[in-house]
Amino acid sequence: MVLVLAIGDLHIPHRAPDLPPKFKSMLVPGKIQHIICTGNLCIKEVHDYLKSLCPSLHITRGEYDEDARYPEIKTLTIGQFKLGLCHGHQVVPWGDLDSLAMLQRQLDVDILVSGHTHQFKAYKHEGGVVINPGSATGAYSSITYDVNPSFVLMDIDGLRVVVYVYELIDGEVKVDKIDFKKTATPATHSTH
Amino acid sequence: MVKKPVPDWLNSSLWSPSPPSAVRPISSATNDAASSSESASAQPDHPPVPVPPPSAVRAESPEVEIRDPLSDDSDNGGSGSPTPTAEDISRQALILQEISRKVINMGELRRLASQGIPDGAGIRCTVWKLLLGYLPTDRGLWSSELAKKRSQYKRFKEELLMNPSQITRKLENSTSLENEESKCETGGVLSRSEITHGEHPLSLGKTSVWNQFFQDTEIIEQIDRDVKRTHPDMHFFSGDSEFAKTNQDALRNILIVFAKLNPGIRYVQGMNEILAPLFYMFKNDPIEENAAFAEADTFFCFVELLSGFRDHFCQQLDNSVVGIRSTISKLSMLLKQHDEELWRHLEVTTKVNPQFYAFRWITLLLTQEFNFADSLLIWDTLLSDPEGPQETLLRVCCAMLILTRRRLLAGDFTSNLKLLQHYPPTNISHMLYVANKLRSQPAR
Repeated sequence: MVLVLAIGDLHIPHRAPDLPPKFKSMLVPGKIQHIICTGNLCIKEVHDYLKSLCPSLHITRGEYDEDARYPEIKTLTIGQFKLGLCHGHQVVPWGDLDSLAMLQRQLDVDILVSGHTHQFKAYKHEGGVVINPGSATGAYSSITYDVNPSFVLMDIDGLRVVVYVYELIDGEVKVDKIDFKKTATPATHSTH
Repeated sequence: MVKKPVPDWLNSSLWSPSPPSAVRPISSATNDAASSSESASAQPDHPPVPVPPPSAVRAESPEVEIRDPLSDDSDNGGSGSPTPTAEDISRQALILQEISRKVINMGELRRLASQGIPDGAGIRCTVWKLLLGYLPTDRGLWSSELAKKRSQYKRFKEELLMNPSQITRKLENSTSLENEESKCETGGVLSRSEITHGEHPLSLGKTSVWNQFFQDTEIIEQIDRDVKRTHPDMHFFSGDSEFAKTNQDALRNILIVFAKLNPGIRYVQGMNEILAPLFYMFKNDPIEENAAFAEADTFFCFVELLSGFRDHFCQQLDNSVVGIRSTISKLSMLLKQHDEELWRHLEVTTKVNPQFYAFRWITLLLTQEFNFADSLLIWDTLLSDPEGPQETLLRVCCAMLILTRRRLLAGDFTSNLKLLQHYPPTNISHMLYVANKLRSQPAR
């Protein structure tokens, strides 16, 4: 039972002052084992805050991040799942599912987490699952002003992932979940 | 061998409180080799009792440096007097006879057990289970009772040791959302579904399974730490072997289940020390079936044993009539009653507050003051006394003080405290004998 927080596009302090207080009250240290962050934090203070929630923090670089040392792409393995992380501004057209699927096949991961569009999305295709946690602060994006704050918490348990989607709609936290199973890895990638 | 009648051990010079020599060879090991009985550590186990042979006893010795305390006493005589064991043999036979009856006479069993239970043949396991009320007195009911309790423990474990992921999955399966799977085969936007009962991992709700889980992790960490520190010198409990790990896991499970079932008292440091001897005994039961279910049996016996002493572990009750402070002052009064001079010297002259030493003696039931084998003997007496374990415990503590009176009277605060906090090895049987005598006499 591994809890992984997927969060990103906070744009603090340029577009938003802070996380919504209702989100902040829920995010307490000690519960989450990993944090994967799509990028655009943008400053060190936010990095430190996330680090205080959980020491295992993985970030990729968004175009407004002030720390230039974050990588563009990151992959990691948690339990039985391979996760890929990318901010998403590099994938053109932005938010296009086919292009993201291409990236996912390139990285060869089961779950690709990317952001930039500030819209929550969870999409499944043959290569795997693409998750966009949206913007945790509700900051406006390059595309639209109408953004609901949201983030994602994944509960990885063996071959099964339960994705809890936390959204702030009209001042209230709404939680939904998505369930999916990974088929046990058959030897589909035939020996080259 | 001369068959002596049961010796008048009350008057025997064997029982003078000279400290035993510290190191004894593992008596069980010499046991088999010694067909020649001049070795004074001849075990009482060979004789005409239909029990599994010393292989059962020997099974203990690779794990632990158990000095058989009974043969230890006989060695005290020094000259290797041949048959103190005759009396042990008869006692063992009597106890076996008693527990083989159809309906067991608890009073008789208590009387026999209070003199000490011999080590062989898993007698102690059965007797302790009887004394703690786990096994009913009617022998015919044993198998049904055991089956019932063991399955109850299994259910406890299943319910309480599940992590929230599994719990939520169970809740869902009951509302059958399985058909979601097939839709996602071809791809497309993944459908979102409502969460059941508002349960999500970051929930701060009091009734949330997740929230409770995270609150419990603190206690579980504490239990983990204490279990790892239990009896680090014994292979049974500590070390890297698979065996030690399974034992530690069993201790852990028992303590976690107990903490969850008793939210009022949860887990307090020290409970692991009280649990350890129980689990050790039951796991080493020569009867295979019992050893396999040792965890379940230990759980119920632990609950029973602790029920008499629960109030000592509750911090709020410290200053109340039932709390630890009041028990310590009872001990103080008992000492005053029996040995006023010593009491005055300790409390008034040298100002050794009994809390400094008696706290550990009482809350941990003397497991930390003596070596493992001796504490088993003491527990025999504690559990079998019809007056109840607390009264007996106080008498034993009082005896401990009285036996060291010469050194205490000669010492000042520092040396007395040092002596009492590191109680010197002593002849356990004599100590229990003195404790017994304190019962009958109102004053020395």
